[in-house]
Order: sequence, then structure tokens, then C-alpha cells
Amino acid sequence: MLSSDSRWARWTTVAVSVLSGAALWEFGTRGMSPAVMAPLSATVLRLVEMVRSGELGASAVQSLALFLTGLSLAVLTALPLGLLLARVRVLRVALDDYIALVYAMPMVALIPFILSIFGLDFGAKALVVFLFCFFPVLYNTVEGARSIDPQLIEVARSFRSGERAIWRDVMIPGAFPYAMTGVRQAIGRGLMGMVVAEFFLSASGLGQLLMISARNFDTAGLFGVVLIITLLGAGLMAAGQALENRFTAWRGVGR
Amino acid sequence: MIRQQAAGSGRALALLGRGRSAEACRQGPWARLVNATLPLKIAGGVFLLAISELAVRLFAPAYVSRPTGVFRVLPQTLSNPAVLSGAATTLGAVLEGTVIALISGMAIGLAMGRIKLVDRLLRLYVDGLSAMPMVAIVPLFTIWLGFTSWARLATVVFAAFFPIAINMSSGARSVPQGYLEVARSCGASAWHVLFGVTLPASMPYLLSGMRLALGRALVGAVVAEFYVAIDGLGYFILFQTRTFHHNEAFVAVLLLAGVAVGVDALMNWCIHRYMPWYRTGERTR
Repeated sequence: MLSSDSRWARWTTVAVSVLSGAALWEFGTRGMSPAVMAPLSATVLRLVEMVRSGELGASAVQSLALFLTGLSLAVLTALPLGLLLARVRVLRVALDDYIALVYAMPMVALIPFILSIFGLDFGAKALVVFLFCFFPVLYNTVEGARSIDPQLIEVARSFRSGERAIWRDVMIPGAFPYAMTGVRQAIGRGLMGMVVAEFFLSASGLGQLLMISARNFDTAGLFGVVLIITLLGAGLMAAGQALENRFTAWRGVGR
Repeated sequence: MIRQQAAGSGRALALLGRGRSAEACRQGPWARLVNATLPLKIAGGVFLLAISELAVRLFAPAYVSRPTGVFRVLPQTLSNPAVLSGAATTLGAVLEGTVIALISGMAIGLAMGRIKLVDRLLRLYVDGLSAMPMVAIVPLFTIWLGFTSWARLATVVFAAFFPIAINMSSGARSVPQGYLEVARSCGASAWHVLFGVTLPASMPYLLSGMRLALGRALVGAVVAEFYVAIDGLGYFILFQTRTFHHNEAFVAVLLLAGVAVGVDALMNWCIHRYMPWYRTGERTR
């Protein structure tokens, strides 16, 4: 439906959408108190100010370091564990329901425990992000492994494949696309974990900026930071989606 | 035709193979034991509980919750009026907010799915805001609504709205053109096409949107309770952990998890029961 239009028409409508949104934000908020609503121009000015003072850059770097630490630790541990569960049927059958259970559970509820057991330093915050990211990757990898046709492994066996060859040619290619779905979900959840950790453990990064501007009724600053977080989230989610799409082409094989 | 038959018999063979894999048949009694999955699952659960019990006993301070401790306080916590009223307020807010999000999300989603201009104007904002970590909006709500339960309700609505709107719009877009043409050529009114054809046909999408939305709403409610410090299950957890009653707090976590899993299962069951032709919802999350 949408693809029938020319590229030109698409970009025009996007431009119209952005411009009308901006105009609504700028002029629709004119009469309101600055403590409640900040127009676009004030938000942009405040953002420029925050960039100039280095406040925003430093916070963003802090937050991203937290996010990337947690996410990469989660992917590096959940992927091998998921593949192991995939190969060893006993383990998978024994554990997959519990993984699904924890996957569905709202992780934020564990934050008070982490605060009280591990304190509020960087490690504890990275643990929060890790917990948010770990289970989506694990769950989806196991789920992907379940979708691998057992016949493929049997065929590989009957051609005298060794364990290594089975991993290299069947298990990893078969489970990988699903694992990437998990990574995409983990990016979304990890961002949430990042903000929540910065709210409720020691305040730092973008989460701290949000809280400080809210406490000072600096609505322009608050809108600015929310805007930056939204752009960051959209960018990272788009990257995750691209990663997932890159590998879903494999999924057709073996079905 | 011939090719179709070949494909059909191939699938039948594959099904035969999958029912009981050759590997399992070859391996004899051990494999048969493994194939009986329930004892294995129970063993897995016992193993996990034992590991966590042991780890907490060996490495963690005494106040940290452990399975036996949680089990011991389970009855008295579940009959504690603070837990019950907290659960009622939190779940009430989640339901209320989700209903608001459902109505508004369906309206926006239908408009986006059926009217190209609306989709063009709103797509960017809906996608962008749904990609944003929704908890970041909580401080703004505290400015607008104060540190009240309204901030929690607003967070829940914000959390639940986007999955519903997005799934509704892709559902409305995926309605087969033929259905709409038949309905129109039989003289159905626009209203009738919308509620008689488009909406039922996009039901599976809406249900999987609802599942996502309820999960996010639960998270949003708990985060708002942490941030705003208003009564509810989330605040109960916060308060109990602060006073080193980890076991009691963990019972509340289990309650939350139970709600989340129950909602998930309910939605899956609805899709299975009422829309058996639509099974992809099990995988797409």
C-alpha cells in the first residue's frame, strides 16, 4: 500500500509530519507556564546550553558505557549458554520453562534487591542492565534451537559429522537468527534497564539529568533529555532491527 | 499439482520423523527416560532452587531472601492486608490504564492502518516513542501530575498505548483487500466495513499487541511506584527490602511474576482458542 508511492512523495510527507509536529510543539504551547510546558525553541536552546557545558555529552557517555557493558556481558554469556541448552536436550527440557518464566517476569521488581545486596556502584547498575538483557537473548536462542529440524542433525550424523562440525554447520546457523531477535529485544529492554538503574541506584548519566531537571522544574531541559533519549532509543532499536533482518534470511533454511 | 503432492508427502515424512526422532529410538532406555519430560522439568526446578538456596547461604548476608525463607513466609505474606491491597491497587491501575490505552490505541491504530495520510503524519512519532525506554517519561509525569497515583496511571497508559496502536495499525493494514471489496460491493456502510470486517480480521494482531501492552503496563506501574512512592505492590517490595524483609518482598515479586505469566498464557490461549489459523503470535514478541 505504502510502497506504491514514489520516494519523493514519501520524503515530502515525512517532512510535513516533522514540520507540523514541530509547529504544534512550538506554537501550541505558547500560553503555558514554562514550568509545565516548554516550547521547541526553548528546549533546543536549553539543549545547546547543555551540550556547550559538556553536561549532556558526559551523561550520554556514562549512560552508554553502562548500557554497552550490561548488553555485551549479557550477549556474551547468554549466547553460548543458549547454544549449549540447544544441543544438550536434557538441559533444555529441564530448564526451558523456567527460562520462559523469568523472561516473562518484570525485572524492575528485582531492583530493590540489587540495591540492598550489591550496593549502588557501577557494577550493580551494570548487573541491572545485564539482567534486563540476558533473558531475552537466552530465551530466543533456546527457542531458535528448538526450531532446528532434528533431521538436519541426523543427516549430519549419518554423514559422520563430528560434534564440532554439527555445531559449526547446523546448530549455530540454525539458532543464530533467533538469537538476533533476542539481541534486538535485549537492546530495548537494556535501554529501559539503563534508565531505571540510573534512577534507583546511584544517580548518573541521562537518568540523573532527567531527575535533576524534573526536580528543578527545568521543563525545557527535561524535554531536551527526553528527546535525546528518544533519538538514542530509536537509533539503537533501528540498529537492532537491521541486525535481526540481516540474519532472518537464514530462517527459511531447513523448514 | 504433482509438485504439491510431493511437497505434501515430504511434510508427512518430516512429521513422522519429528514425532519420535530416530535418535531417541536408537538410544534405548536412557532416551526413553529423557523423553518423559515432566520428571526432568521438576528435577530442573529442584536443581535451580537448591543452587539458589546454597548460593545465598554460602555467600550472601542473612537477610537476603532464599527459597526456604520465602516458602516459610509465603502464607503469612499472602494473607497480609498490605500485600492484598497493594496488589489490588497496582493491578487496578494496570487494568484501568490498559483499557484507556486500548480504546485510544485502537482508534489511532485503525486510523493509521486504513488512512494513508494519518499513517504518514503519525508513524514517525509512534515508532519513535515506542522505541524510547518508556520509564524516561516518568519524571515528566511527576511535573505534570505531581507525586500522585495519576502519574502512575499516566505511565501505564503511555506504556500500553504504543504496542496496541502499532499492532492495530498493522492488523488493519493486513486485512485482505478482497474482504473489503466484497463487503463494499454488497453495499456495506463504511461503519459496517470497519466494525464487521476490518476489526475482526485484525483481532489476532490486536491480541498480541495487548499481550505486549499488559507486560509493559505492569513494568510501568512498578517503576512509577518506585519513583513516585505511592502505595502498591511495587512500593511494598521497595519498603520491605529497605527494612531487610527480603523474603516478604520476594513473595510480592512472585505475585507480579505470576500475574505477568498468567496474562501471557491467557492471551496465548485466546489466540489458540479463537484464532487457530493464526499461530505466528507464539514466536513474534
